[in-house]
Amino acid sequence: MNYDAIVIGAGANGLVTAHYLARAGKRVLVVEQHQTADTSADIGWVPDAVIRDLGLAGAGLRIEEPDPWITAPLPAGGMLELSRDIARSTEAIRRINPADAAKWPEFCGRMRTLAGVLERLYLAPPPDIETSDARELARIAGLGLYVRRLGKQTVIDLARILPMSIAELLDDWFESDVLKGLLGALGIWHLKQGPRAGGTAFNFLHHHAGSRSGVFRPARSNVTQALASISGVEIRRGERATVLANNGTATGVVLEKSGEKILAPLVASSAPPRATLQPLAIELYPDFARAVSNIKARGVVARGTLALGSTPSYATLCIAPSLDYLERAYDDAKYGRDSAAPYVEVQRTNGRVELHVQYVGRGSHEDLASRVAKALNVAPNQVQLEAAEESLYHGELTLDQILFMRPVPGWSRYRTPIEGLYLCGSGTHPGGGIPGAAGRNAAREIL
Amino acid sequence: MKQYDAIVIGGGHNGLVTAAYLARAGKSVLVLERRPRVGGAAVTEEIFPGFKFTMFSYVVSLLRPEIIRDLDLPRHGLHILPLESTVTPMENGDYFAAWSDHDETRRELYRHSPRDAEAYDEYGRLMHFMAQAVKPILSMVPPDPTSFAPGDLAGLLKLGKHFRGLGGERLHALVKLMTMSSADFLDEWFETDVLKATKSASGIIGTFLGPRSPGTAYVLLHHYMGELDGVFRAWGFAKGGTGSVSESIAAAARGFGAEIRCNAGVSKVAVRNGRATGVVLENGDEITARTVVSSLDPRRTFLELLESDALPPEFVQDIKRFKFRGSSGKVNLALDSLPSFTCMPGIGRQHRGAISISPSLEYVERAYDDAKYGEFSRRPYMDIVFPSMIDPGMAPPGKHVMSIFVQYAPYKLNGGWTDAKREAFGDAVVNTVESFAPGFKAKILHRQVITPLDIEKITGLSEGNIFAGELALHQLFFLRPVAGWAKFATPVHGFYQCGAGTHPGGGIMGASGRLAAMRILKDGK
Repeated sequence: MNYDAIVIGAGANGLVTAHYLARAGKRVLVVEQHQTADTSADIGWVPDAVIRDLGLAGAGLRIEEPDPWITAPLPAGGMLELSRDIARSTEAIRRINPADAAKWPEFCGRMRTLAGVLERLYLAPPPDIETSDARELARIAGLGLYVRRLGKQTVIDLARILPMSIAELLDDWFESDVLKGLLGALGIWHLKQGPRAGGTAFNFLHHHAGSRSGVFRPARSNVTQALASISGVEIRRGERATVLANNGTATGVVLEKSGEKILAPLVASSAPPRATLQPLAIELYPDFARAVSNIKARGVVARGTLALGSTPSYATLCIAPSLDYLERAYDDAKYGRDSAAPYVEVQRTNGRVELHVQYVGRGSHEDLASRVAKALNVAPNQVQLEAAEESLYHGELTLDQILFMRPVPGWSRYRTPIEGLYLCGSGTHPGGGIPGAAGRNAAREIL
Repeated sequence: MKQYDAIVIGGGHNGLVTAAYLARAGKSVLVLERRPRVGGAAVTEEIFPGFKFTMFSYVVSLLRPEIIRDLDLPRHGLHILPLESTVTPMENGDYFAAWSDHDETRRELYRHSPRDAEAYDEYGRLMHFMAQAVKPILSMVPPDPTSFAPGDLAGLLKLGKHFRGLGGERLHALVKLMTMSSADFLDEWFETDVLKATKSASGIIGTFLGPRSPGTAYVLLHHYMGELDGVFRAWGFAKGGTGSVSESIAAAARGFGAEIRCNAGVSKVAVRNGRATGVVLENGDEITARTVVSSLDPRRTFLELLESDALPPEFVQDIKRFKFRGSSGKVNLALDSLPSFTCMPGIGRQHRGAISISPSLEYVERAYDDAKYGEFSRRPYMDIVFPSMIDPGMAPPGKHVMSIFVQYAPYKLNGGWTDAKREAFGDAVVNTVESFAPGFKAKILHRQVITPLDIEKITGLSEGNIFAGELALHQLFFLRPVAGWAKFATPVHGFYQCGAGTHPGGGIMGASGRLAAMRILKDGK
């Protein structure tokens, strides 16, 4: 069997790359290490371009945008519920803090404008600031002009807010601990940083991309399932593949279990960059090898499920009562422990009740389930958790690991020093939480 | 009554630099200082008879060479003595030392980790280069990226060219330095914890951040930016203490004809029809001038010296958002004799350099954790020097002075600072030193403990922030102090800012003062 291209990993990005290549007339094989397809929800903005280009609307794609999008317990009892409708959210906030309610619409507007800038940056390869190519320079100039046309305030906000901590940003605007806690939590998603760390405001905006104004949780979908269901590519499951290279050129993959070699002149890996590259002889490129080993991809999230007797009334429940609560949860992780009082988010989706828990430390996570159970007021055996050793985003979204610095500085165009080997997973620009964006950018670069 | 060309409010080193440059250009200049002496936070004071304390700021490194040259400061008494070394006592009784002799430092590092000794040279080369690349920025007026004025566009273009000229590898290193935590950045190079702790400690000075907080890495560059090149720690000590730096600039200013008046606090800037016309002193006297320059921090400059209706409301809002969050304290001691450290017993060359109490990254990070929740560090990070070992004139014969810079002491302490809390803080400092140098406490003759609240009261620096406003990425360059007003002018005609709350900011650099003077002279043409 001859293939034009092999894609490692049948997650959203791997499948998107595969389908784009297939649509360009290539024979594509996707190799996935897990035997059964992952049925948990895809969390993040699925760009319209991906849906349109691959005809996902007709492939059973369901995008859930729950309303209210968040529910958070109030210290005095009762819940704060924020809706997709800004006016209704403003009303809800007014009941706990009128001053915060007065600022809510403007805050939502300012954040939406900034997230819009990120959206534009995310649907293309990152700007190459070292280039002397006239077309790329023109593109960068175009970006600059576009931002300046958004107005003076946006230019200042971009420069000021992106490097800020989410705690500073929220303290600038709001007083309510509950409101700051549920917003601040988005700023630490998948980061080994607390809300007082610089760059968490960026992480907050990253996860706001693709959402409508006033909604600060990304959509949930079954995009991976939809991608797997459309025809055009062959998928082999239950096989772990390693890249084969000869004389600095990729020649195909070898399957770990069977030892079978499958040849192809082009290999695209959506696996984490370090896992893809370190088995190869990249020490021949010492700077590159060092950069790869320096990728920060520390696992801090446990995901899992919550078994409940009945469907919960909320779509998303957030246990992050204040910024200090989040910061203390991080303090534990900083010293290698699971959070004594973790940040917990419960997501009802596709008929399942899923959990996002932060932070996990190193070693065993024996008590974590009972701590989560305590935070949710349920029995420990209702909580099933799996802690990720490595960042689920294949690289934390810190300011030194985004745009032209992702996955490693100078190699942000999905290429590697190995000829014919490309990266197309969330370890590349624009990173995790936007299923299909990296895969699409990579495929377009490859083609 | 005499009308001056310019009045400079505040006789700190930046105010004095501005005054000197303006006087040098032939302007009639008056400096008004609230305290009985010039210097602001760079003062030497004899708190106890015979013992001279560098009250606040205690080392010099970044004073711009063009200022030393232009103002001929050595002729006016400036004399910088090198600080030879940094020794970090460890909790297991060992130590890590960086000496002025590069090869010796490498041998010392080899003892801890052969791999790190290898990396050290490459790291040093990169950092040295990066420091050289960043230095021109310190002498540059920040262009305004929101403006379409030709000057700003040209400035942005020049900046873009400068950075692209660095080449890929160094540009990436710059991005990392600007955005990473010092601990993460150093993790990429080294494995020796005490080395990383000591280097990253320099990144937290004056900030309300820990070594694992992003934004602390770029301060690592400062070590390689000093003009006392070639040493690991390019810091120096001014003969006579940092007060003599201020004195020398004051002398230069007077030499050019500037008048300096102490005990002359300014209560308001007089504004008529949107134009500054002079100042009103605390005693009610009015002095008129064509130009008024404030070297006070942004909060004092705009929220105290001016009536609120003199400024656009959005501008006032931005200034109110400018962050200070003082986090540093100072303990100055008069000693009967020098302490002996367990890790390096006896009296020796270690006393002529800095002693850094930063035994591990976790130690420094935990010190930060205390402050994060409103307490002073139970076991703080400290940077210790013995000024009397470098300049014997600082203490009576045979006796010594000890300067301890301490972090963290949050300005907003839970329950607020009281005399009892101040002493408890002093005890925490002294007890921690004692744990590394048993018998030290018995040598203390006098003790002066300075909290951020004291710094604010004495020097006027808001919240006791030693940099006149946090040096965080979102408060630097064209954002310092606020976007659109980072070029020393203010919304009030004829009123300028020249303190460390403007680009490039704190440290005894004088760059803000010089750039402000240039701007004023340019506008006056």
